[in-house]
Amino acid sequence: MSQAASHDDGHHNLMVNNKKLIMWLFLGSDCMFFGTLISTHLIYRKLYPNEFEPTSLFSLELTSFSTFILLMSSFLMALSVSAMHKGEMRSFRRNVIGVIFFGLIFLGCQVYEFTHFIHEGLTLSTGTFGSTFYLMTGTHGVHVAIGVFWLISMLFYSQSGKMEAHKNAIDVEVAGLYWHFVDIVWIVIFTVVYLIEFIG
Amino acid sequence: MSDTHAIDTEHLKAENDKYYAFVNLALLLAAVTGVELVLVYLPFPSTLIFSILIALSLFKFIGVVAWFMHLIYDKLLLTLAFGTGLVIAVGTYTALLFLLGGDAVAPQEIPGL
Repeated sequence: MSQAASHDDGHHNLMVNNKKLIMWLFLGSDCMFFGTLISTHLIYRKLYPNEFEPTSLFSLELTSFSTFILLMSSFLMALSVSAMHKGEMRSFRRNVIGVIFFGLIFLGCQVYEFTHFIHEGLTLSTGTFGSTFYLMTGTHGVHVAIGVFWLISMLFYSQSGKMEAHKNAIDVEVAGLYWHFVDIVWIVIFTVVYLIEFIG
Repeated sequence: MSDTHAIDTEHLKAENDKYYAFVNLALLLAAVTGVELVLVYLPFPSTLIFSILIALSLFKFIGVVAWFMHLIYDKLLLTLAFGTGLVIAVGTYTALLFLLGGDAVAPQEIPGL
């Protein structure tokens, strides 16, 4: 394959699609970003263990439900990518609608949780716990919202008839990578921020 | 023409195989989340519960990254690209834990405390 042809089909010399490589590099950098946010929360939680008692406020049932919803949305996203690779546009659309719906449910749960916490007195300025908790979970929520917008725009694009399975499969795959990343960040947050508070 | 058909059939078979892997993984992830929820209420030593929760979380993390994100089907370069960020993120937490995790360090001058 000549170099020109190699560039035409979106591959570089390492035989990895450019869009996919860039997305993975971005996700690596986003890992560092969330790593810092989660670390800050955990370190301050260790430094000031008696500053705030979150178990009285956290609802594990609600958070577990949110986690389940996000995991299932990841499953549907994987099916969307697979459908696109198989050229099944209708199946792709159906699954993407499911992902968007689950993403919106997750965001709704987060809005409900934040509203409840604020009513109970936990605000962004309630010491280090409030600051680090809202910053971390809020940043994650913004990522979910961006993912939802991305998928909605992809859905509209597919409805316009301009989307082609062989041409746009990689775009769907890249959007899928972003969505799965949002899911794995929540897997970590669910365990180290919520579940661990209830031990002992 | 027949070569193209063979490649298409192979491609479809690979995608169908992935479908079953995705369904199995989704069921496992849902079950593990349920187990996690129950675990925290069980009267076992906290160190044991903590270790199991971390192990289950790691299992879910690897499951999503490897299968849903196709990392096991893709080039090693992509694993390295993501792994580098992940190692730095874990390294940041470890470094902060060593620097500030000790009992002796507790800056009282932080506003709002």
